[in-house]
Amino acid sequence: METHFNFGFTSTLLQARDAQKSRVVRSLSLSDDFIPRHTRDSPQCLPNLESITLSMADSDNDHAHAQPVLKASVHDISYLTTLLRGVNFANRATITATESGFTVTVEEARTLLATAYIFADIFDEYAYHSEVAPSQQSQDDGVDNIAFEIPLNTLIECLNIFGTAGAHSLSTASGAKRWKKQGEDKGSDEEEGEGATNKRGGIAQYFGAGSEKSTGMRLTYEGAGFPLTLLIAEDADGPTTACEIVTYDPEPHLDLQFKPDKMTLKIILKSSWLRDALSELDPSCDKLTFIGNPPPDGAPLAASGRPSRNAEVSRGTSTGKPMLRIHADGTFGSTEMDYPNDRDVLETFECEQSQAMTMLKYSYRTSHITRAIRALQNSTKTSLRIDSEGLMSMQFLMPSPSVRSRAGADAFIEFRCLPLEEAL
Amino acid sequence: MRFRTSISSPQTFFRIIQAIEKLQKKCIIKFSDTEMRVICNNDANEGGIQVWSVIKVDSVFTNYRIQSNANNEITVLLNAEALLSALKSASTTAETADGDDVVLKLAKKNDQAVLCFEINGTTRLGKSMRVSHDVKIEVMKPTDVASLKEPMCPDPDVHILLPPLQKLRTVVERLKPMSDVLAVSASHSGSLKLSISTDSVKLDTEWRNCTIPKMTREPTDRDDENDHDPGKHFPVLVSTRSFLKFLNSHVVSTTTIACICQRHCMILYVYVGDYADAGGVLTFYIPAIIDGDD
Repeated sequence: METHFNFGFTSTLLQARDAQKSRVVRSLSLSDDFIPRHTRDSPQCLPNLESITLSMADSDNDHAHAQPVLKASVHDISYLTTLLRGVNFANRATITATESGFTVTVEEARTLLATAYIFADIFDEYAYHSEVAPSQQSQDDGVDNIAFEIPLNTLIECLNIFGTAGAHSLSTASGAKRWKKQGEDKGSDEEEGEGATNKRGGIAQYFGAGSEKSTGMRLTYEGAGFPLTLLIAEDADGPTTACEIVTYDPEPHLDLQFKPDKMTLKIILKSSWLRDALSELDPSCDKLTFIGNPPPDGAPLAASGRPSRNAEVSRGTSTGKPMLRIHADGTFGSTEMDYPNDRDVLETFECEQSQAMTMLKYSYRTSHITRAIRALQNSTKTSLRIDSEGLMSMQFLMPSPSVRSRAGADAFIEFRCLPLEEAL
Repeated sequence: MRFRTSISSPQTFFRIIQAIEKLQKKCIIKFSDTEMRVICNNDANEGGIQVWSVIKVDSVFTNYRIQSNANNEITVLLNAEALLSALKSASTTAETADGDDVVLKLAKKNDQAVLCFEINGTTRLGKSMRVSHDVKIEVMKPTDVASLKEPMCPDPDVHILLPPLQKLRTVVERLKPMSDVLAVSASHSGSLKLSISTDSVKLDTEWRNCTIPKMTREPTDRDDENDHDPGKHFPVLVSTRSFLKFLNSHVVSTTTIACICQRHCMILYVYVGDYADAGGVLTFYIPAIIDGDD
């Protein structure tokens, strides 16, 4: 089981995003000013949540050594809930907490493994106290962590107790990023579209910040055998909810190691491109095949600079072979979706071939791949990779709605899926 | 037996029926000189929830005329859904009601007693139209009517003004998939708690600073006892589904007072219209689920 954060794998994703950002920011220097910079200083915490915090701190002092293993609080749970919903397809989830954040892992049919990486900086407060004594810790080679299982659906229902953690509340609360996404959806010219919409998002956020109703949460886990305790409050004079969710000893998960050195296909694209494709699929399709063709000139596209759009299109059409094709087989026929050789669609495309001009082809069960739709819906960018054994890794970048945590890394969700046997 | 009236507020009537429609197929409506009582008392209801409501004639009807051998009372049994669709048509078609647009009367058509709704309205293009709905009814015999009895309850342990029902409903909707049994408890200090406890989750949602209504009745010894510890909670276990059915009355409610009779039942008074000048009140009885621990 993977118990440490997979920073290495994300770095490419993050770099790609940064490159994207810098381009946008240049055209945006004016609108950026609309984003309030004082957010961190403003009192975000809810009054009654604070009082709960205080009373809990008092009880901590009584028995100073019994510090909870995990303690976290956040003033708006909608982002956290979005991340949890992205992997909510099986009821049992394993939470693995470390100092830098925690992961939520869900598995299906010994084939699909989905993990949400939730970094500590999305919380207003995050504290992890190791159960292991420091001396033992040093002997242990891996990253210090604690794992437990919880009923994920129950956790989400509890967080959404006031009906405030829905997708709707995210869309109203998320401001800039959301607008940006809508701009992308329209397929408008990227820089112009994002520039205009980001500006509006910035204003909305500035004015909305004070009146926005958000639900705050405080989470505590005392250690193995203890329940996960949540305190949820909507606003100062509203109701409060306290809940204890039972935890279980973790079961070992599938060990799906993606081998970056044996990577055969790597694509980075806007999540909406993949989401639209997957949501178009007929439910009767049970097999989904990903077909990759190496770029026509043999050299990976990423190596060349950024050729003009027209040149790329003509290059793509001249060979007639799409760089990426998604083929779905069903009872009533088959569907093919082609992604053109265009930097606006496929930001990065790398396809390693051992034998030249043969295409790469792996099949997966549709029901497994479409599990990712919920994560895709709230994601901006997707990195899709397949290694030589056909193991697929999809990483979805989940932009944080709050301006405050923009400095830190955005959380992401990863799906890994084994191919169908016949494809091998 | 004669009955004829104009419905001055079809919207209110519609909402009242909407609030109780989900409870059972058939409901009883008892018209008298001054009041209309809507009763759902079927024991076969999920969780045994009952509704006994009293609506003042003036708050829904005008030109109200009633005559019968049974003390000028007419009691009818009818299908709640059919009544609701007639009222829906009345409240949407005759939105500009000036008093005489919707007429309700008792009639007999082909040997079948019906409540006849005659609606005069205007189409979207401004032309006038007439819509008529007949709702089949069964007129109840006076002996059967006499056997209708409200459930008996002990003096409640606590009265409390509920938060907006819409908010409660959101919370209870989340709880429903998690637990069939809901614990409702309230204290004299104005705290209201909804709790569930299952194998996988324990959850408590608390509203503080709820208003405790002043009771007009004489204080008894028991009240004094309670005053000693205002923080004490009086719990009752009810069926989550029944409670959610009661919460359907959020469409009509402005003020709702809940009473808890520990280990017996929960009574909810839903006031129609303004609390001070209520046009009527729907009373929901939800029997307690007796747990082995109680």
